[in-house]
Amino acid sequence: MAGQKMHSAKRKRFINNSIVHVILAILAVIWVFPIVWVVLTSFRAEKGSYVSTFLPQSYTLDNYVKLFTDTTILNFPQMFLNTLLIAICSCILSTFYVLAVSYCLSRLRFKLRKPYMNMAMILGLFPGFMSMIAVYFILKAIGLTEGNLIKLALILVYSGGAALSFQIAKGFFDTIPIAVDEAALLDGCTRWQIFTKITLPLSKPIVIYTTLTAFMSPWLDFIFAKVICRANSDQYTIAIGLWKMLEKEYIDNWYTCFAAGAVLISIPIAALFLYMQRYYVDGLSGAVKG
Amino acid sequence: MKKRAVAVLLAGVMTFGLAAAGLTGCGNDSAEGGTENVRLMVWSPQNDQSKDNGEWLQTMCNNFAEEHPEWNITFVYGVADEASAAGQVAQDPEASADVFMFANDTLTTMTDANALAKFGGKYREEIEATNTQEVLDSLIMDGDLYGVPFTTNTWFMYYDKSVFSEEDVKNLDTMLEKGGVSFPFVNSWYLPAFYIGNGCTLFGDGTDESAGVDFGGQNAVDVTNYLIDLEQNENFKIDDLGSGIAGLRDGSINAMFTGSWDANSIKEILGDNMGVTSLPTFTLNGEEHQMKAYAGSKAIGVNPNSKNMEAAIALAVYLGSAESQRAHYEMCGTIPCNTELLADESISSDPVVTAQNDTFNNTSILQPFVSKMNNCWTPVENLGKGIRNGSITHDNAQEQTEGMNEAMNSDGI
Repeated sequence: MAGQKMHSAKRKRFINNSIVHVILAILAVIWVFPIVWVVLTSFRAEKGSYVSTFLPQSYTLDNYVKLFTDTTILNFPQMFLNTLLIAICSCILSTFYVLAVSYCLSRLRFKLRKPYMNMAMILGLFPGFMSMIAVYFILKAIGLTEGNLIKLALILVYSGGAALSFQIAKGFFDTIPIAVDEAALLDGCTRWQIFTKITLPLSKPIVIYTTLTAFMSPWLDFIFAKVICRANSDQYTIAIGLWKMLEKEYIDNWYTCFAAGAVLISIPIAALFLYMQRYYVDGLSGAVKG
Repeated sequence: MKKRAVAVLLAGVMTFGLAAAGLTGCGNDSAEGGTENVRLMVWSPQNDQSKDNGEWLQTMCNNFAEEHPEWNITFVYGVADEASAAGQVAQDPEASADVFMFANDTLTTMTDANALAKFGGKYREEIEATNTQEVLDSLIMDGDLYGVPFTTNTWFMYYDKSVFSEEDVKNLDTMLEKGGVSFPFVNSWYLPAFYIGNGCTLFGDGTDESAGVDFGGQNAVDVTNYLIDLEQNENFKIDDLGSGIAGLRDGSINAMFTGSWDANSIKEILGDNMGVTSLPTFTLNGEEHQMKAYAGSKAIGVNPNSKNMEAAIALAVYLGSAESQRAHYEMCGTIPCNTELLADESISSDPVVTAQNDTFNNTSILQPFVSKMNNCWTPVENLGKGIRNGSITHDNAQEQTEGMNEAMNSDGI
């Protein structure tokens, strides 16, 4: 009797699991579908933006080769390097800003702490591109809208506002017992030493998260790059370049290269993620040693 | 993404506040010292500057500099295609090119931003002498000429000569009996061709904003009914997102409507069988009506904020001259509009040139560039989409057409 009940419970669970897995599998296919399509298109030998078949009739590497060799109309390698430089610089800057601000707001007590957090909250409610034209004119007044200084301008734009998005990192820092800090203070640590030697090593997951998001937003941004680069084609970022490939004059010849470019831009992000993933362990596990 | 607002206020002002005064002080006008030093910023599409096309712009600018030894010109090149140049220039006229290329439908965007100089005196005479009145009209507003035209901008028909004879391509309905035809049915730059063909008008003669749009009435309803039947014709395919040229490639389509930008791709597909001609007629209630495309021009404009107006205007006129247009045609395939060149055998023998100019002169109307034209795109596109998805039928054609007309005449979205 009891055995039979056990049996039926097992069976029920098996049926439930099967249903869940089937649903998950369907969802996974739907999610992966567009990505697979882009990857396939990037290897497609037939030209043009529209094809009647899902799978390409023949495959080639030419799209990738063209992307890097045919640089007279759209200089993809240059755009790639521009974007990489901008993304790396602003990633380092804004990661530092975010973590430093979060640490201050979590651990230090000062008069403007509350007003600052309120202000950041309110400013965060406005979309950034609302101010893009103003940002452009400010940059122009400072003289950053010509030549290579555009790269600097973009780095500033991408990293300058980072300190306003401290909430998540601050929340994480708040969970680290303050007693750890106090112990370090008693041992003669400065605030800076506590930050670098104790807080950061204990907060690896959030450091990783901050770095990834800080890298991705300049890497993928279109709107600010477009407004600030204007006609300086040597300063274009890949987002602008990919957009250009879809203009009516280029789309027929460049569509498959566009797909190739889309695949390529995902590589740095994927690489960064894979490299950092191993630090995604529970950062607090070492903290409560006692 | 969000916090960029303060991004620059914080970072920019804090980091560079001190340096600001120094940097802005030595901006663009360092060459102002002598009368001969001239710095000209020139914007054109990337095509015109690419090495594959022999660097047309650079070549022409250098020729211009040689012709004018009185100026010591430094050229600065930038990339802005004709369609988007207006936005770029209007965003900040003072920091934009002295000479740039624009599509004529963006004329009001720039004049509103005070970003387009007028041509007068001997320059205007020179431009008027070498262009047809239709082309000039596309750049004249309130009697003032705003640019040097260098090409016309419209669309026409490409077809497979092995499927259609020259007689067939005169009528769309005849063509549909013989082979597959694709038309950008859901693109409002193309679809009005049928309505205009049956007597619908936009802003009177195209310039009278108060006259409004007349896409209503029985003649418009007839066209809507015609379009519903057309869409259901099995030889008719809607060209959307590049499906037309793909159909030409795999042979499922034998004729399509597009402009000179696709000429090379189509030549590659059809080879010697490529036929190209101005728009056909269509048969409505037993009568033949001529399809009429929107046509415009692309022109070279001068920025009124330029510090070297004289040189800038001279360069603009030079870039639009017969000599430059010939080079433009030979290097980049840009179809000239200069009347002297069009009379030239070596150019007029190119069927694409002939088709484009025939279309411009005979089977098109000047695309209105009054501001209210902006309200005319979405309603037409929606009508095309409504027919495609079956929500517009013969039963409600009347009502839907009136709705479109109303939307085109209103400022709401």
